Amino acid sequence: MKLKLTWLMTLFMAFVMQLSFAQEKTVTGTVTTADDGLPLPGASVIVKGTTRGVQTDFDGNYSIKATVGETLVFSYVGMKDTESLVGASNSINVAMQADNALEEVVIQAYRTSTAAKSNIAVTTITSKTVEGRPNASFAQTLQGQVAGLNITTGNGQPGGDSVINLRGVSSLSGNTEPLFIIDGVPVDEDNFRSLNPNDIESLSVLKDAGATAIYGNRGANGVVLIKTRRGSYNSGLKINYTGTTSFSTLQNHDYDLMNSREQLQLEQDFGSGFGATLSDAELALRASQTNTDWLDVFFGTGLTQSHTLNLTSGGENINSFTSFGFTDQEGILKKASSLKRFNFRSNLNGKSSNGKFNYGTSFTFNYSESNEPNSIGSGAINRNFVLGANQSVPYISPASYVPGGGGNIPVVFANTPLFLLDRRDTYTRREDEIKIIANVNASYALTDNLTFRTSFGGDFTDEQLLRVESPISFNAQLFAATGDNTPGFSDQDSRRSVALNFNNSLTWSKVFAEKHSLEVSLFTEYFKAHRRSFGFRQQGFSLATFFPGDGAAFVNDNANDDNYVDTGRATIRNAGLFSYFGFADYDYDSKYGFSATLRRDASYRFAASNRWGTFWSVAGRWNISNEAFMEDSIFNQLKLRASYGTTGNQRIVAVGGQFAYFAAADLTQDFFNTGGQYGGANGLSAGQIGNNDLKWETIIQSNIGLDFALIDNRLRGSFDVYQRNTEDLFIQTPIAPSLNGGVTALAANVGELKNSGFDVELHYDVFKSKDEDGFNLSLNVVGNYNKQEIISLGEGGDQPFIRRVGGVIGEIYAAPYVGVNPANGNLLFLDIDGNLTEDIDTNDQRATGKNIFPDYQGSFGFEADYKNFFLTTQFNYTIGVDRFDFDLQGFLDPTAIGQFRHSRDILRAWSQPGDITDIPSLNATNASDEGLSDRLVRDSDYLRLRFIQFGYNVPKKILDKIGFSSLRAYVSGENLVTWSKWRGFDAEALGAAQNGYPTPKTYSIGIEFGF
Amino acid sequence: MRNIYKLLCVCLVFTVVSCNDAIEIDQPGRLSADNAFQTVADLRGGLLGAYNFLDTTSDMGYTAAFTDESFRGRDNGGQNSNTQNFNINTNSGYAFNIWSGNYGAIGMANRIIAAAEGIDRAEDPTEYDNILGQSYAIRAFSHFKILTYFSTDYTNDAALAGLLLTEPTADIFASVARSTNGEFYDQISADLTAASNLITVDEGFTFMGQDFITALRARMAAYRGQYSLADGFASSLLANYPIANQAQFFAMYDDTDFTEVIFSLERARNDSYDGQGTAGGGWAGSLFAFIDATAGGGPFMEISRSTFNMMNGTTDIRLPRSVNLTESLIDPGYATNDNFLNDDVLLVFKYPGSNGQPLMNDLKEFRSAEMLLIRAEAAADANQLGNAATFVKQLRDARFGSAQPLPVYTDQTEAFGDILDERRLEFLFEGHRWVDLKRLGDRGNRAIDRDDKECSILSGCSLPSNDFRFTLPIPLSETSANTSAEQNPGY
Repeated sequence: MKLKLTWLMTLFMAFVMQLSFAQEKTVTGTVTTADDGLPLPGASVIVKGTTRGVQTDFDGNYSIKATVGETLVFSYVGMKDTESLVGASNSINVAMQADNALEEVVIQAYRTSTAAKSNIAVTTITSKTVEGRPNASFAQTLQGQVAGLNITTGNGQPGGDSVINLRGVSSLSGNTEPLFIIDGVPVDEDNFRSLNPNDIESLSVLKDAGATAIYGNRGANGVVLIKTRRGSYNSGLKINYTGTTSFSTLQNHDYDLMNSREQLQLEQDFGSGFGATLSDAELALRASQTNTDWLDVFFGTGLTQSHTLNLTSGGENINSFTSFGFTDQEGILKKASSLKRFNFRSNLNGKSSNGKFNYGTSFTFNYSESNEPNSIGSGAINRNFVLGANQSVPYISPASYVPGGGGNIPVVFANTPLFLLDRRDTYTRREDEIKIIANVNASYALTDNLTFRTSFGGDFTDEQLLRVESPISFNAQLFAATGDNTPGFSDQDSRRSVALNFNNSLTWSKVFAEKHSLEVSLFTEYFKAHRRSFGFRQQGFSLATFFPGDGAAFVNDNANDDNYVDTGRATIRNAGLFSYFGFADYDYDSKYGFSATLRRDASYRFAASNRWGTFWSVAGRWNISNEAFMEDSIFNQLKLRASYGTTGNQRIVAVGGQFAYFAAADLTQDFFNTGGQYGGANGLSAGQIGNNDLKWETIIQSNIGLDFALIDNRLRGSFDVYQRNTEDLFIQTPIAPSLNGGVTALAANVGELKNSGFDVELHYDVFKSKDEDGFNLSLNVVGNYNKQEIISLGEGGDQPFIRRVGGVIGEIYAAPYVGVNPANGNLLFLDIDGNLTEDIDTNDQRATGKNIFPDYQGSFGFEADYKNFFLTTQFNYTIGVDRFDFDLQGFLDPTAIGQFRHSRDILRAWSQPGDITDIPSLNATNASDEGLSDRLVRDSDYLRLRFIQFGYNVPKKILDKIGFSSLRAYVSGENLVTWSKWRGFDAEALGAAQNGYPTPKTYSIGIEFGF
Repeated sequence: MRNIYKLLCVCLVFTVVSCNDAIEIDQPGRLSADNAFQTVADLRGGLLGAYNFLDTTSDMGYTAAFTDESFRGRDNGGQNSNTQNFNINTNSGYAFNIWSGNYGAIGMANRIIAAAEGIDRAEDPTEYDNILGQSYAIRAFSHFKILTYFSTDYTNDAALAGLLLTEPTADIFASVARSTNGEFYDQISADLTAASNLITVDEGFTFMGQDFITALRARMAAYRGQYSLADGFASSLLANYPIANQAQFFAMYDDTDFTEVIFSLERARNDSYDGQGTAGGGWAGSLFAFIDATAGGGPFMEISRSTFNMMNGTTDIRLPRSVNLTESLIDPGYATNDNFLNDDVLLVFKYPGSNGQPLMNDLKEFRSAEMLLIRAEAAADANQLGNAATFVKQLRDARFGSAQPLPVYTDQTEAFGDILDERRLEFLFEGHRWVDLKRLGDRGNRAIDRDDKECSILSGCSLPSNDFRFTLPIPLSETSANTSAEQNPGY
């Protein structure tokens, strides 16, 4: 196609142009790399200021029509653009210089810089690592790629939210996730399910105060700047397609669960449940007839198809990027979990012919439909599908469920899987979302040194939530009011939020005496967000016309009873921020640099208490490698950086998602609430207790870093040491419920928290072939160590069994479990004084120093290619994660015999005096003390083959023949192997939830091509 | 170029001018504390808010699980396991609910009483007085509940009760010490007197009126051991509230007959308690079953075998009212059946539901039967054993629907023992047993009395009524914020 187009165009131009310009001639030549003199295929050759362009062929040769006096521009990715004036000669050969690695563009807050002149700690990853991965949310793909960025996805829902923390958790109750800015628009950091990862060109993670202080009271947890792809001026039309097909399955567990026979036998032996009612012969018969692994019933293979098509083109003064994407992903929870989405993006750049005025727009429209089960992780046997999969007894058959007969299922715990099969058939929970992110920006160079910029953008989300419990479902029938023959409900909610950001700036920059350069910018920023939501619950349906979400079946209330009274709900919330700020950046000869930022921020949250906050930073660098004495060293780059400064966290109450801006909107005020009925009338009661000292949390961060590249740039990396102290830490300070109408805590800015540690990133090119078909191998290591310590909890001091000064966030309080008493089968613990005991109480629980946040985490891996094959791996690791294995507790719980499934471990239970075993007697009299102990605390450290990809790039020679500019195919796997002591499905899941939705392992095949 | 400058000016002016628009935002739908009470009607709203705090399901659930009233049911998924095993600590949800709910009511009552001072009584003097009077009554009731559950000894005026609060809280971070029973009794009495003087309207038995005041006085006097006072209050009420016959008694728990009801907390569709509350705070019946009071209703707490055995085979109306006999599985050989949890399923039937909502019933707080048995206690205390027997017989006659033999007591211990046994059946699942054992266990020689079969599964069979666990712990959330609040012994 490409060849054909070019040929057509050439013919066309040749015909027309020849009539007009007799002087035009054909220039030919060869493009090579200056480095090794090898020909450079695919380089673009353009006549400057026109749309005339060609590409070099496989041998680096080109041929183009040009007139004398015109300029040819040669460009190639990774090379410096080279220009050559067309003179008398008909032949122009060019040797292109490699773009110096030091000149790599570094994206910073509100500006860009070069690697050499950057004073900050920042890591950028490119589209290469995001593209074509089967994760619906790009946050999941980011995992392990950036030192210090800890991303945990504890949820297998397609597009499910990940928890993202940079350099430790900086707040107890507030938001701890970075600010995400896509093309200049701050966006909801908990909802990326609707966005297409393949549109992303680069992600830059700003880490230190030097980088983030300019984001003031939004920069506390770091900032992730995302740029989406754009076109370039003077380039022909390029069309690219990326398609993947993926298969996801449940990861393995190691609980050693019983089969039907063993479970029945256990029940018979213990004398409880169905097994206890059977004779030996009946038991054997049942076991031979029915042996259901409910994991296979509720979980299965999820199929994902994803397609992205994009087009780029550019004229002299305008260029565009357009993409279209479609994804259809099934979760591994069959029939209950899926994501379907449609993405559209259009990015446009334009400029005036003198280059003084530039403008650009970014616009993306996305629509997604999610089936997302709720009650996951809960103990609701009639609602949590995962509980049904994990814990259902194997001697019940799925065939026992008669579709539509939910109301007839006998209500006993052992029938849990039947309740859930019914729910899967009869319950609807669907979220339809429209997400639009749009930005328009413009700049004008007022003088050579002074530029005005403006940027206006918005993040719009409209979510329609539908939850319907069918009138014939088990759950509806179960909780039906007497005389209500068509129970069930339909909840429909519409939630809309829009967040607008308006930024204006003036930048003045100048170079003095060649070596001194100075840049100063001043900004104002205005942010406003609005949320509107409304919804209703309809009760009562006519069966004849029932369809989830449609109102035809709605039955109105009648005079006989109150079974069909509907309820409505609505919310209005508004939020806003206003800021002015500036920075100054000075460089001397790319050897020394210094920058400072200052920001004044006002948040609507604190308008009545502490309106304005001031945040600032200073940063400096020394490019040691640019000193004369380093001239002959092995270092290509060696740069020492240091920064110190403050940022704020104005989102002091963590609420995820779309509503995050609006949480804790007016904590400074005392409120009364209406509602609280008594005697058939509405009452009035004390609601919120106000805190009139409320303010943002302040993070003070110091950072010292070293960037280096040596041995011909083969070893590259950075090392950063940091300390982040959160002051005015917002914590729940206990208040007496007696004095405060039953309220037990009031949040106040009274504590202090410290995170300290280091980040390291290393890349080493072990083999770097000069030959195109040669063998290349590079290794990379990303790591972070973070230590957390609570410095102060205010006057209240330690909060018993919750947290303590000197402890960590989410610390586990427990009494040590020692083992089983051989004399009586009871559990043995150590009491608070260290004495062996069978009887512990709350006061024997002690701080363990353990929590769910890792000490060390990161990844390592390699990238290799040979001829046209390539292989990439990424191994992720975390060390220092401890959490309760509540799933294991369920599988070992003797009181659940007859109701739920067990692990074969329970067969080792103590049965007679003298038994030495690790499982207590099934009748242990102190079994309930287990919950106070660390018996179920497990180390959840893991090493995981997070990602592996093997593929083939079709060689240029063949591509030219078939008319493609690129074509590659690959197979890849996510989460294929995990090494961990954790026995559950997913060592990665955060927290301690029982029966949660594990993340899957996924195999994909993908194809990408362009022409 | 000029246009660019214009644009620049517009942008800068816009951002500066609009700055307050982004910062000074009042969220809609807020009622500030300062504006909450403007009229007498607002005071009425506050009063309903105070009533809304009153909930005795935690009293019932805790008593049922801790004492010999109930035992884990077939569909028990771990509910009440700690409480059944006498494993009570400062984290107990029941203790917290009782503490915070009653202090919530006291807090609202105090706000109404304080706010009333700034409101013109002339607007509606009767309503104004009525609201104020009921606020005092609520404050008295909740203070007495606190004393009941958190004081070590009702008869000792020097023992500690809870925090005595008579004003809205000025300092939310304050640390306040517990007051003594004596101080509590004085304040409660004063509040009841104030209430009695102010209330002139009878709003029915779901609101606090003169009869409620008398009943509370009777109960408080009985708990204190001031039996002659108690007897007087009780007998005055019995004149107006007869003992229900069998049919009336049965219907009372369907919320269709109110012969005996002096005061109950109304529970209706769509109120704050219209929902499942397996550990209190919801439908009373959901303390025992997940769905309803039938065989398929998910029973997780059933009537204990020992209590069931006391009534089994009799014509006592309290048997079919306490147990859903038609739906229950009764295994006479339960004592030797290893699978008795599944084969012997005794469904609680005291809270079957009302208004079409399974498990939702009014919470009966004061009934004339309690007044009658207070009279019996008073007689036993005065060593008038014959009178005591007559009162007990009067109740039994009504419950059995036929004349019952007159009990014979040879000493006070026997009399109190028999009264305790009668109270055990009469107030089953109504939140009395734990308090009764605490205050009369020694005098009547009674303790928690569980069936042997149940004991084999639980870690404890019985508990002497002087055990420290017959006083609830001050909740951890209170002691961690209020360092002056002394913890009860043993915790």
